[in-house]
Amino acid sequence: MKSAPFEHHEPETVDEAVSLLESLDDPTILAGGQSLVPMLRFRLANPDVVVDINGIDSLDYLREEDGSLRLGALARHADVEDSDLIDEKYGSFADAAPLVADPQIRNRGTVVGSVAQADPKGDWGSILLAHEGEVIATGPDGDRAVPADEFFLLPYDTTLGEQELITEIRVPEPGPNEGSAYHKLKRKTGDYAMAGVGVRLVFDDDGVIESAGIGMTAVDITNARATDAEEHLEGERPSPDLFATAGELAAEQSNPESDEHGGADYKERMVDVLTQRALGDAAERAGTVTVERRVTQ
Amino acid sequence: MSSEPDTPDAETEYQHDEDGGPDPEKHCGHGRGGMGEEVTRKEDKRFITGRGNYVDDIKKPGMLHCEIVRSPHAHARIEEIDGSRAEAMDDVVAVLTAEDLLEHDLATMPTLMDDTQDVLVNDKVKFQSQEVAAVIAKDRYAAKDGAEKVEVDYDVLDPVVDAEEALEADAPLVRDELDDQEDNHIFDWDTGDEEATDEVFDQADVTVEEDMLYQRLHPAPIETCGAVADWDPGMDKMTVHMTSQAPHAHRTLFSQVSGIPEHKVRIVSPDVGGGFGNKVPIYPGYVVAAAASYVLEQPVKWIEERSENIQTTGFARDYDMTGELAATEDGVIEGVKVDVLANHGAYNAAAQPSKFPAGFFNIFTGSYDIEAAYGSLTAAFTNTAPGGVAYRCSFRVTEAVYLIERMVKVLADELDLDPAEIRRRNFIPSDAFPYESATGWNYDSGNYEKALDKALEMADYEHYREEQQRRIDEDADKLIGIGISSFTEVVGAGPGKQCDIAGIEMFDSADLRVNPTGNAVLRVGVQTQGQGHETTFAQIVAEELGMDVDSITVEHGDTDTEPYGLGTYGSRSTPVAGAAAAVAARKVRDKAKSIAANELEAAEEDIEWDRESGEFHVAGAPDRSITITEIAAGAYMNHPGDEEPGLEAVNYYDPPEMTYPFGSYIVVVEVDRETGEVDFEKFVAVDDCGNRINPMIIEGQIHGGLAQGIGTAMLEKVTYDDNGNVTGGDFMNYLLPTANEIPNFETGHTVTPSPHHPIGAKGVGESPTVGSPPAIVNAVVDAMSHAGVSHVEMPMTPDVVWETLDEAGLAHQPAHNVEFDLGDGAEPADD
Repeated sequence: MKSAPFEHHEPETVDEAVSLLESLDDPTILAGGQSLVPMLRFRLANPDVVVDINGIDSLDYLREEDGSLRLGALARHADVEDSDLIDEKYGSFADAAPLVADPQIRNRGTVVGSVAQADPKGDWGSILLAHEGEVIATGPDGDRAVPADEFFLLPYDTTLGEQELITEIRVPEPGPNEGSAYHKLKRKTGDYAMAGVGVRLVFDDDGVIESAGIGMTAVDITNARATDAEEHLEGERPSPDLFATAGELAAEQSNPESDEHGGADYKERMVDVLTQRALGDAAERAGTVTVERRVTQ
Repeated sequence: MSSEPDTPDAETEYQHDEDGGPDPEKHCGHGRGGMGEEVTRKEDKRFITGRGNYVDDIKKPGMLHCEIVRSPHAHARIEEIDGSRAEAMDDVVAVLTAEDLLEHDLATMPTLMDDTQDVLVNDKVKFQSQEVAAVIAKDRYAAKDGAEKVEVDYDVLDPVVDAEEALEADAPLVRDELDDQEDNHIFDWDTGDEEATDEVFDQADVTVEEDMLYQRLHPAPIETCGAVADWDPGMDKMTVHMTSQAPHAHRTLFSQVSGIPEHKVRIVSPDVGGGFGNKVPIYPGYVVAAAASYVLEQPVKWIEERSENIQTTGFARDYDMTGELAATEDGVIEGVKVDVLANHGAYNAAAQPSKFPAGFFNIFTGSYDIEAAYGSLTAAFTNTAPGGVAYRCSFRVTEAVYLIERMVKVLADELDLDPAEIRRRNFIPSDAFPYESATGWNYDSGNYEKALDKALEMADYEHYREEQQRRIDEDADKLIGIGISSFTEVVGAGPGKQCDIAGIEMFDSADLRVNPTGNAVLRVGVQTQGQGHETTFAQIVAEELGMDVDSITVEHGDTDTEPYGLGTYGSRSTPVAGAAAAVAARKVRDKAKSIAANELEAAEEDIEWDRESGEFHVAGAPDRSITITEIAAGAYMNHPGDEEPGLEAVNYYDPPEMTYPFGSYIVVVEVDRETGEVDFEKFVAVDDCGNRINPMIIEGQIHGGLAQGIGTAMLEKVTYDDNGNVTGGDFMNYLLPTANEIPNFETGHTVTPSPHHPIGAKGVGESPTVGSPPAIVNAVVDAMSHAGVSHVEMPMTPDVVWETLDEAGLAHQPAHNVEFDLGDGAEPADD
């Protein structure tokens, strides 16, 4: 990598990092480097100052606490992929982790870094939206919790302040009648999503959908919620027809562009397919239904 | 290709060995690592332990670094280049432009098709990322920083990137510097008998036609191009370590370009991290590094970045083809026609023998006995990177094989015939060899039906045909497709009278020296890039001299020590240099007999060599024997009075004909009707490359080539936007398959030796890349052909397949076949 020269800072605590963000001129934060390092290499990013947070050991965690799953800023994709807790309780996270990039990048890249990068083709933003999670932004005035819905603005642009870093993301711990799933379509290992859909369904004790969250990847200018589909699902019992309509509504609400990953029409159609597949998985994981494919092969 | 080469008698004698040559089917290697043994690769120790020595590992005292400034525009006139800001930087030593090169007469270089390409753009940029200036600095970071400070004023012109548009009357003129070039047309070429072919088509029961694009591909070796040039003013000698598949040819070209006498130019091609044809051409970076070293009298290193490699290196394919077949209603093919529009980029730089402007494309009659054939081709300049260089394909064979194997499937569907059966009805019969094709090529040997039968059995063909029908009948979500390709390759160029690179005849060479202590060094004129020459060629010598393979070292890649050769590409190393190694070994064996006679105190004519034991003995007295090790000692310590001391031989081998390896590949895919995703269910590859030297290395070659075939069929394409910007200029956008995308390969083989090759071998490195793309496309088409689909363009990404499904009415609504069971008491919902 022949990047342009830059100044490199290695804080060891969050406080140190925040004061660097406060004092330095236009610093760039480096976590796993999944996006920043290629941009440095192509000289698409030419920062004068880089604050490398990899030395802040206190940010390296993935745990449940006070009713939510919490991922610190140094939790790597591979940590999610290898976690028993995730396997047991967080279907969407377990689905998504092995689909992110390739194994080498998953060993280094972080979930929080991916959210902070706010690439509409990133996977974790959709999952955060589907779970109605929060981003914890830490700055000179301390922590503030930003609901996922209010975080993403534009491609690569969020409501994070210039002197803030994301220290954590959280999603609510699932209840007994809850299930989630993530489906992604890509051309090869390591490729970005052609389309992706994350789903979280909460059922009441009678098998009626109490709450639905659907986040979409790579089909809008940011990771986006399929609110029409969510509303259609709430208060209903699962059925193929219900999910088919939800799929259509999600597809209608998506806003993909034609590019090397496929035409806009195709992507819309895939939002429909992936939404229905993810809803089926989420409902099954919630223990509400058994989905049977009549002819699977 | 039917004219007789003038091969010297002596070589003919060694070419056909006294004992009939090795037969790996009968006896394998005799335990010494000869023919047919799976000898572990000698080169792997250094590669696996990180001790390979690639160009970028070369470091010299005082070495400077070169970074090339490239044009962001595809078509633009350069108004001014200002390097002063770069030159003012501390670690920047010099900024070079075309003006500086003109002073030394190094501003242009010849391409492999004898076109003239700017080393650094003199007037007009003709493709994006073309070389505009070079910054020489003390380290590579400073060179890169300096390159950013070079200011270039461009007058941007309208580009043309599409070959068809390039031939329109009002198209921008790409090559306005050429006096006789008034449009973008480069050449027309045709082959076969047009009139006879038209007649066959007029009278045929049935004809079919299909358009297909063999998309532009990138060879994508893991090591990009690079060079370390070192001008020694004390010796007046230029040494260039470079990524070269053909070091000797490059030495000659370097000498011609620079005016430095050839004996004062040394090219060293150290370990090379993959070539696939990418490293056959000369690139401006090499010349700039050499020019900078000459001017500055210091060593200069140039290492290309990945994106530079993808954007500017010699591309492959880009053939827009229309194929036609004429046949009887029983499926007997009587005629084939093909018309091609070839996009050659901004310079005519394809790597073809000068007599064959479309390479060996006339192999498009394939494995079939076709009465009439006619092919025509038009080549055009566009504002895209030059190329047309082989990518693991011998000179456009890949395109030809794709065409014929796709067309056979189209015809089979038209006639509702099984694609295996229609092939059987048309194969050149095994007793018809040597066979001259309708386009005039002489096939050496083949047994196509045997290879197909073996592949059908391995693939469990009938089972999958039944499964395919079941899924159609049950309207299943995933369709089965079965694709076949029964390809014939043509590899191993020369003969020298017919094939050349930049005028140099395509022979190759081997120089074998046996040391006094009984081990040996074999030097060859070809250059390995991963093919395993250091092992394979040692096995040939081991076989022919009865030596142990471990006692033979193979050297290659240094023009100061190796005999002249044309290099490694087009699967030519074993057919040509492998033959030279065998002939050189047989010459040594001949001399060894006279030494054996001296040592055993017998008459020379009574000395026999036994391939099985590897020993020389007196006829009728097997106990009176001597090994090559003992003979070697005798050659230096007790040489017969009537012989020169020493034990060595050189052979320059001009092949009498090319070799024609072949095979049958069968691919079974599952196509998802909801998403268009394609999964491989089964992948069978049966290859016949004649006698097999190292089956393990062959299998490795097959695996790698099949992976590349999957990349071609499923993922890869170099794309440009209307402004001539490369839109797939990095590995995030130019998609290469990884282990995750590669299914389990089941490989098999048949053995049909080449009758003219000294050890009966043929080339094999490219067969899988040539043979697999049509098998894969045929499989995907086959999954949908019951609904009238006749073609899917490569790369067959999910969106492309889904659109085909949708148009054919085969796409499934999601959840088409889903039922929900709501558990206790609840009624199952119906869809």
